[in-house]
Amino acid sequence: MIEPKRVLRALAEHWALLEPLCERFDGGTLSLAELRQQLANQQLESTPQDITSLLDVWIRLDILVPVAKSPNRFELNAQIHDFLAYLRREHRLGLCLEIEAYLRHLERLAGHIQDAFEIRDGNDLARQLRLLDMRVRDVLKKLDNDEQALVAVAERAKTSDRQIPLRQRYAEVLATWDEYVEPMIQLVNADGAFEQGVRKVETVLLRLLGEQARLGHLVDDDMLLRTHARILEMQTSAQLTLRHARELLLPLREEARRHNAVTRGAALALSVIRRKGLDAVPQAAMPMFTRPQSTFLGSASQVEAYVYALARFEPKPAKFPKAHKSHKGDAPRAPRTVKEMLERCEGALPLPDLMVWLLEQEPDGATDELLYWFSRLSREKRFARERLERRDYLTREHQVSLRSFALTSSREPSPEPTVSPAHAS
Amino acid sequence: MHLDLSELSQLAPIFRELFKGFHISRRDPELYGQLSNFQDQYRGLFKALGFELVCDTRGFYYFVPDQAAAQVNKTAQRLSLFTFILVEHLADQGRDPMSVLDGGSLGRDELPSMLEKYRDLFIQAEVQTADELEEKIMRRMTQLGFAHEENGIYRFLPPMHRFLDVCLSVQQDRDLAASLHSALPLPTPVLVEEESPEELNRTDDPLDLTPFEESEEDALARAIAEEQQEIDA
Repeated sequence: MIEPKRVLRALAEHWALLEPLCERFDGGTLSLAELRQQLANQQLESTPQDITSLLDVWIRLDILVPVAKSPNRFELNAQIHDFLAYLRREHRLGLCLEIEAYLRHLERLAGHIQDAFEIRDGNDLARQLRLLDMRVRDVLKKLDNDEQALVAVAERAKTSDRQIPLRQRYAEVLATWDEYVEPMIQLVNADGAFEQGVRKVETVLLRLLGEQARLGHLVDDDMLLRTHARILEMQTSAQLTLRHARELLLPLREEARRHNAVTRGAALALSVIRRKGLDAVPQAAMPMFTRPQSTFLGSASQVEAYVYALARFEPKPAKFPKAHKSHKGDAPRAPRTVKEMLERCEGALPLPDLMVWLLEQEPDGATDELLYWFSRLSREKRFARERLERRDYLTREHQVSLRSFALTSSREPSPEPTVSPAHAS
Repeated sequence: MHLDLSELSQLAPIFRELFKGFHISRRDPELYGQLSNFQDQYRGLFKALGFELVCDTRGFYYFVPDQAAAQVNKTAQRLSLFTFILVEHLADQGRDPMSVLDGGSLGRDELPSMLEKYRDLFIQAEVQTADELEEKIMRRMTQLGFAHEENGIYRFLPPMHRFLDVCLSVQQDRDLAASLHSALPLPTPVLVEEESPEELNRTDDPLDLTPFEESEEDALARAIAEEQQEIDA
């Protein structure tokens, strides 16, 4: 028999060495050499003999125990390990099944209590009530431990390396949810084992109180009331633990699920785009933006090009025609003015096809110039226009595909241009 | 609603930014603070002016165009495509896409390898060179408030959730998933019912976004009117 005081004294005395060791033991067993190395690192001034004697003390006090079938490996005594974990507030998540087993036991104890009362065995009744009370305390302790462990699970997930994949980062959260929270939800459900167990025990205790009042006291009423109160506390505590677990883990689980959904969505979108083009992504899914002012956003690259051109500007001597020299070849044609073109166009109305007319007018015109005239003339208010089918047109240099217009005179030709009041200056 | 304009001390810069299509997030603490403190007032004022201010609880504000006038534009498609690619690229590398796109960062030096790997997809968005990737996508992202660039590092801002939402909605789109396994063509969304002169004149400029108001048409009308005056003179 090891004297408890000596164990406690050793724990207190060697706490500085034991605490870091606990972390190592959380991860598994340690060989004697590893253990010595660990202690030597912590106590630089200690001699090998000191370490040997220290280990000897721990082994004698049953703080350290050899691993079964591996005498050179050690682990912390499970009881001590649990006690130290409690002191360090390091909680390991238990199993939901444990709680269920406790509850089944509570139900059995309620049956024993009923039996003891029926045969009027006061001693057995008191013993069974004490057992019930202790078992409820076990459940409470376990719920508290599990809650702390759940907090740690959530914290680990939140603080782990952001660079590792989310699936990996939240693996513990997802496993905890599946293995603990989900079964707990089932357990604490209105028709789950927890509620059923609690109700059964409560019924027995309340009936006992009534019967005692009628048939005379076998045990103190206070004892029954205390146990009853503790049962209710256990019920509340289970619900709170569950709620807390959901609050802690649900957002993380949702984040992990959202992450998976985003990754899947992106992969799906890319495969659709690969097969059917960019327009295959449903329009409804696309974000809409407001129209930016062209003077702001649109100018960025143009300004850059403009500035670039300015920086490299090289003046060229302008060649003016000389009065005494006659032109050789055709004189370069002066560019058409808007007025000139409008008049010509107006004179040629109705035009069955504006683009065809333009090509006839300017057979050698540059494509961009023709397109400018096409755009300009088709917008002119004095002309009424009608959209034609898309077709190809051949300019001097290009083949252009567009939907041209048939132009006629506007029904209400107005000689003076109307200026909208918003833009009148 | 009673509006005290003296309270809305940042009205001009806020409107200017939102009107440009910028997303205001905590990255702009002054504007964001104003919007959060006087959210209802700003929303009411903008609504009265015909602008729909969206206050996203994930920490950003933006103008959404009128649904009737809205159409998917090239920028939205490009930025969505980039998000899809980035998510897959990061996931392939064993990195967490959410942590990068939700407040994380990406080095500019990572872009060329990404472009190389997904060249076939980028081509669909008319992005073929690293310069084009920077110009048409990354610069646009920073201009619209989705990302912030500093010393060659792009930091993604909360508005990126808009694109993550696209991933989610694609994932939930059963028709889309089903279409992948069928030979039938996808029901392609009709972007524009009839081509109008505005569309003819539309450049390929990614900034030529959804028509938000009639400003271009108005500007043209004004230009024509001015020309007319000159001609008449």
